[in-house]
Amino acid sequence: MAKGAKLDFNQDVQPILAANCFSCHGPDPEMRKAGLRLDLEESAFKKRPGHPDAIVPGHPEQSELIKRIESTDSHHLMPQSPQGEAKPMKPAEIAVLKEWVKEGAVYRPHWAFDKPVKPQPPATSEAAVWGNNPIDDFVLARLKKEGLKPSPETDKATLIRRVTLDLTGLLPTPAEVRAFENDKAPQAYEHLVDGLLARPTYGEHRARYWLDYARYADTYGLHYDNSRDIWPYRDYVIRSFNANKPFDQFAMEQIAGDLMPSKTLDPLIASGYVRLGVSSNEGGTIPEELRANIARERAEAYGATFMGLTVGCAVCHDHKYDPTSQKDFYALTAFFNNIQERSFNNDRPVWEPMVRVPRAESQDAYNRVWARRSELAQRVRDLHLQQRDLVGKWLASRASLPQAVSTDKLMLRLRLDEGGGDELKNSAPHPQQASFPIGKSKPQWGETTWLWPDFRMETSTRIQLGQTGDFDTNQGFSSGGWFMMRSAPNYTSYAESGTLLSKMDSTQHNRGWDISIEHGILFVDLVNEGSKDLMVHKKADEKEPEPKNAKEVFQFPTPTDLTAQDLAPNKSKVQKELEKKSQEKKPAKKEDKPAEPKPPLDTTPLMAIRVSTLDPFPVDGKWRHIFFTYDGSGKAAGVRLYVNGVPVATNVVSDTLGQATIKNQAPMLLGMRSPDENPARETRYQDIRFYGRAVAPEETRRLPFEDYVAEVAGKPSGQWSDDEWHAVSQFYFDSIDKEAKDLESQIGALDAQLDKLSEGGALTMVSWERPSIAYAHVLTRGIYTARTERVEANTPHFLPPLPAGVPHDRLALAKWTVSADNPLTARVTVNRMWSEIFGAGLVETTEDFGIMGQRPSNPELLDWLAVEFRESGWNVKHMYKLMVMSAAYRQSSKVTPALVAKDPKNLLLARGPRFRMDGETLRDVALQSSGLLVAKIGGPSVKPYQPPSVWEQVGIGGSDTLNYEQQHGETLYRRSMYTYWKRMALMPDMDAFDAPMRDVVCTRRQRTDTPLQALVTMDDVQWVEAARALAQRVIKEGGKQPEQRIDMMSEILLAHDPPPQMAAVLEGSIAQMEKHYTADPKDAAKLLDVGEKKSDASIPAPELAAWTMVASEMLNLDETLNK
Amino acid sequence: MKQHPLCTDTEQASHVMDMAIPAEMKQEWARLQTRRHFLGRSGKVLAWAAMASLLGGRALRGDAHGPAYGQPGASDKDQFKLPNFAPKAKRAIYLFMSGGPSQVDLWDYKPGLAALYDKDIPDSVRGSQQLTGMTAGQARFPIAPSHWSFKRSGETGTWVSDLLPYTGRIADQLAIIKSTNTDAINHEPAIMLMNTGNMNAGKPCLGSWLSYGLGSMNDNLPTFMVLQTKINTHEDNQPVSSRLWSSGFLSSEYAGVGLRSAGDPVLYLTDPDGVDREVRRNMLDAVNDINRQTYQELGDPETNARISQYEMAYRMQTSVPELADLSKEPKSTWDLYGPDAREPGTFAYNCLMARRLAERGVRFTQVYKRGWDMHANVTRTLPLICGEVDRGCYALVTDLKQRGMLDDTLVVWAGEFGRTVYSQGGLTPDNYGRDHHPRCYTTWMTGGGVRTGITYGETDDYSYNVVKDPVPVRDFNATILHCLGIDHNKLTYNFQGLDQKLTGPTPASVVQGLLA
Repeated sequence: MAKGAKLDFNQDVQPILAANCFSCHGPDPEMRKAGLRLDLEESAFKKRPGHPDAIVPGHPEQSELIKRIESTDSHHLMPQSPQGEAKPMKPAEIAVLKEWVKEGAVYRPHWAFDKPVKPQPPATSEAAVWGNNPIDDFVLARLKKEGLKPSPETDKATLIRRVTLDLTGLLPTPAEVRAFENDKAPQAYEHLVDGLLARPTYGEHRARYWLDYARYADTYGLHYDNSRDIWPYRDYVIRSFNANKPFDQFAMEQIAGDLMPSKTLDPLIASGYVRLGVSSNEGGTIPEELRANIARERAEAYGATFMGLTVGCAVCHDHKYDPTSQKDFYALTAFFNNIQERSFNNDRPVWEPMVRVPRAESQDAYNRVWARRSELAQRVRDLHLQQRDLVGKWLASRASLPQAVSTDKLMLRLRLDEGGGDELKNSAPHPQQASFPIGKSKPQWGETTWLWPDFRMETSTRIQLGQTGDFDTNQGFSSGGWFMMRSAPNYTSYAESGTLLSKMDSTQHNRGWDISIEHGILFVDLVNEGSKDLMVHKKADEKEPEPKNAKEVFQFPTPTDLTAQDLAPNKSKVQKELEKKSQEKKPAKKEDKPAEPKPPLDTTPLMAIRVSTLDPFPVDGKWRHIFFTYDGSGKAAGVRLYVNGVPVATNVVSDTLGQATIKNQAPMLLGMRSPDENPARETRYQDIRFYGRAVAPEETRRLPFEDYVAEVAGKPSGQWSDDEWHAVSQFYFDSIDKEAKDLESQIGALDAQLDKLSEGGALTMVSWERPSIAYAHVLTRGIYTARTERVEANTPHFLPPLPAGVPHDRLALAKWTVSADNPLTARVTVNRMWSEIFGAGLVETTEDFGIMGQRPSNPELLDWLAVEFRESGWNVKHMYKLMVMSAAYRQSSKVTPALVAKDPKNLLLARGPRFRMDGETLRDVALQSSGLLVAKIGGPSVKPYQPPSVWEQVGIGGSDTLNYEQQHGETLYRRSMYTYWKRMALMPDMDAFDAPMRDVVCTRRQRTDTPLQALVTMDDVQWVEAARALAQRVIKEGGKQPEQRIDMMSEILLAHDPPPQMAAVLEGSIAQMEKHYTADPKDAAKLLDVGEKKSDASIPAPELAAWTMVASEMLNLDETLNK
Repeated sequence: MKQHPLCTDTEQASHVMDMAIPAEMKQEWARLQTRRHFLGRSGKVLAWAAMASLLGGRALRGDAHGPAYGQPGASDKDQFKLPNFAPKAKRAIYLFMSGGPSQVDLWDYKPGLAALYDKDIPDSVRGSQQLTGMTAGQARFPIAPSHWSFKRSGETGTWVSDLLPYTGRIADQLAIIKSTNTDAINHEPAIMLMNTGNMNAGKPCLGSWLSYGLGSMNDNLPTFMVLQTKINTHEDNQPVSSRLWSSGFLSSEYAGVGLRSAGDPVLYLTDPDGVDREVRRNMLDAVNDINRQTYQELGDPETNARISQYEMAYRMQTSVPELADLSKEPKSTWDLYGPDAREPGTFAYNCLMARRLAERGVRFTQVYKRGWDMHANVTRTLPLICGEVDRGCYALVTDLKQRGMLDDTLVVWAGEFGRTVYSQGGLTPDNYGRDHHPRCYTTWMTGGGVRTGITYGETDDYSYNVVKDPVPVRDFNATILHCLGIDHNKLTYNFQGLDQKLTGPTPASVVQGLLA
């Protein structure tokens, strides 16, 4: 630190306090010792009874903090490890803290949480001779402070190679190099840069980085690790960079594209971002655990990529360093928790919600309809935004006010809104029993919200409702309520079976009544004597057979007409063969299975009424109001079924009850027919009722919503909770508001057109918001069962709040992310751009701008860039151009030992950036230099060469990524970003070069140097084949003389002629190799046979083999591997 | 302690300044010697081994992914004095039984259960435990006593199932832990927890922590190697993934390197067809020559590091095939390991390979054996997998002992959880299935630092709950680290502002009862 300068709290003091003190004296109250909190000014100076003052500003000698860190008594000495061992601070750190207290112990807010203000570029005398744009002013001032000087500009050849690699991920051609070298115009470099930014390869290269930040992969990452079809998202990213889509738009589309108005499908495709994380369908998966993990992963990924914060540290407890509280974290997960989806994926390559991307030829027609739909959907959203006004007006107008349903003979009403406890209350006016005990296996409360926070039965939950509903055949009665059917993993719609409500005695031929669901079809039974085999559902441990005509029905945006083919895992040919074989073998194996006790068929005659619905329900995770009425006639015609208050067509399966009794002694049961039966798996319930009368059709219409809304409307609206508002407005828009109803029906018609127009297109997973309010629960220690506080989606409390009056959904989050007040997004984004170009971010910890993250090496420059980015209209190309136009970027990368010692990572930029390229770029460069590279953008991922049994070694039988089936032809030579990305077994060549698994977000790759990398570039068939193709190219095009060929190779790979010393080594090498292969033509032939591309037979084999080895030498040079 | 001829540990290797390495490297070495964290490891030669090894320059320069130069957190490495105390074991071999072996059929002898066949397990035993989605809906939880008899083995009279006759012979040398327990009930989270100390992805595994903390003991093989056992179609082979041998937030240099039984033993190890050793040497000489010119021109120390990595690659190309060449193993080896060991990729073969790796100074070897996940058909499948595994375990421990290596090699046998005593699916006198069971399972350890001939921990009469001396996964891992001379609270890495460690944030303790 310069003499006389005051300490900067953020730069000098806070890092020391954070590293040494905050774990016990920081934001986390659980860990706090002696009631001392040092991260906040107000608490650091607070008097603590019985404790000396921690900090006395101006007086280090009176400050306990200083006394403790200087103490010679090891019991007294701070800091201490959690195990109570003293970990003394460094003298330099102690000196800083003393000086800080002496200077008055001034606190400042954490730098990254303050909105960046554009600083004036510093003026230095040296700026007159060095520098091209404001970046350089900042770099220069920083270097001056350190007593360093910038390096001279690098030569043109190095520069064009560097900038072409940085902007396109590929090499300049020798012709381009020559043209640039000969272009003496002052604007030559700028023209070059503009040309590179305009190339389609620019978008590919940028997208390649973004896919790490977005954790894009082609498999879902756990257990079966099956394929996941979401490559249209990848192509969207490429398109966006190439179109120079403003970054705010780009970010918003990914976070909330499904909620944005748009003229094309792109924003919806982009919203697949949210769903790129890992998922599972492991058989025993507990859906809630998976759901909690998925929401958590999304919040962490969002936190790292858009906020630059390690929010995940607050999963278990308040963040130990940052102000992110546990509540902040779960409020953030809530945004990502409100998608119309199931957490498990049924091992399918796509699972809802998804959309079909129209084929090129129907794209225009599709987009026209899409734009119209989007406009209408936006109008619906606008209406919803005015809900409070509209509902107020409606209620004030006193027209068509909500009417309650008569409570006459209402004997049971289970609201199921207790939210906990040991019993369920019966809120009916004349209950036969006032409450019912919950067994020892507790239900799940409040996972989602419908009329109110909901109730879900675990498979082992048992709810007995006593003798309520003990009615006989000649008495009218009605029952039903709200239900949400939800499958557990491995159970699809046709297996979605179980009893919803029953009063039936399974020991007495199933006498009684019930309402049940089988394969999505609803049944109401009134039984005197039933056939066991007709009536009893499967036991839990038996897998339901798939009925022949089972068909799933989907909801928009998922196409409604998906076939089994669309949903089938992408098995390879090998697997299909194997499975076919094992299917054929199966019958022989039967005796191996443990004999299942199979009782003989029970053919007892059926005396019952059985009425069913005609069509199965879609598998959509939606709430449905299911209700039946019975008129006491003893006839099937006396049974009516209602779904959402509307009578539905029914089928009479049996009508043989007559006047036989249905009375029985068994208890009424929720969710099952008999206590030893599999309950309706994973089903949610709300407002379950039993009436001792046949409720009239006019009343059933009002049961789902209106009755409840009437109840809410009885209170002044000022007292309504958010959930009550939601229920009332949902009713209002569904039933009262003509415009909304009209819009919804128009949208429905357009959806059908869109379905048609997208036929034959590729499916891709997207986000689709649920209509309900986005909530999450704070989980104690992150344990999914340990729910505490219920929190609404919200942004962290220490950052600017969401605007008042907007729904807290992903759209609000998206807008907030790129709002002018957000201090983080612009900084975090330009910092990553900087790290792509310069090798390390201005903040090295690109994922952590929090208290424990690195301090910016040049804070003013970072802020200048951040504000410039926003003010430019989030212009991405503008920012890259600024960076590569800077003199800092154009410096020579020659370095002296002294400079290495002072700035080993080149954070200060006294020299130009030079570092080993990422694995993808290396492979692309090898393919490009040899002429093998296929320039084709986008499409499904490809499977080039891979060593044998990389997948097979780790996979599970039945997975569609068990066998790697290498493709052929041009797919072998596509850019590496198109290579199929299997999370549980990375492509090993990329793995060797530090490619992340992408099972969690990665905002900066490691850059190691290992022998395994040398093995890849020397031995991998792709590299050997590339070397041979490169050799062939220089033999045919380079000239007859070895020097000419060596020159050409060097020009291709290094953009310059080889210096004499290097040429000498290579010429010696070619002589040696030629001698070897001439003497051993068999070896030559073998070498030429590597790879699928045939070698040119017109070249003598020994010659080509020898040159192949020299090309391999060139490809393995340090200079080739570095940019 | 007996020194193994191929193990280039601290005492024996020559001084770095005498070695035939580029002058620049010697300079770098001299510079590094002044760095405290570097010397903090036990001695300069070990450090040299690290420099030349897979750990490469990076570990020396202390710039693994994480706290950076001159920034808070960087001080951690300075405090890093490993081993923390004299280690009993220098290296470890971990036989990972993926899928969850049935403790009640193999180790946890419960003769009383025979009388309870098909009776429901009492609610009081099961408690309010959350079951997997596979049996949560099961109406009954009928007890399935083990189909097999148990015998007393060795002088200790340890009860071992008839399914493990060979392992029974070494029962006196094992510390059998009946009270291992985990927090996870499904494979993915459980196997992650066991291997990395955390149920979610992104954390380094045990082997990576050891590589990071202890470094290499040899200069031509990786520090941490992973062996997969060939899968058999008759077993339900739950998957494994590179996540289990990943280095998480540690530098990827510490990730496990696969030693494969088919194709290249190490990926891309073999020179292409038509490239012999001489051609490779010539090619490398040319590359190194030019790289040295580049270094002179640009002065980037990374260029020098690259030269040394290419040399290490070249050495591996010789040392790995030598390692994989079993032709010089004497007849006694085959007598010990049995005929399976001749077939690459079998468990017995991998056990033999693990011994050869240990001999050559590989710090940590993890052998994966999948197929223990038996939801049905236990009586048909369990004998098959035990038949594959039993002899290899016995042979490895016996072999290490005969060679005097068991004293300083830790051997661990463990899966990710146990199995339920109640039957999943239909129970018949001849067959049953067992679901995942996290509350108790049996593992064993032997070798350096382990108190042998003991059974540790007890379960209730149903092999359902631990009733004495529970060993949660974090304690299990703390104990492994302890045997290797590491205090689990001190092997930390500052990531995202926290001192991350293998055992996680919940306090863990070394199981003293397991230590010699």
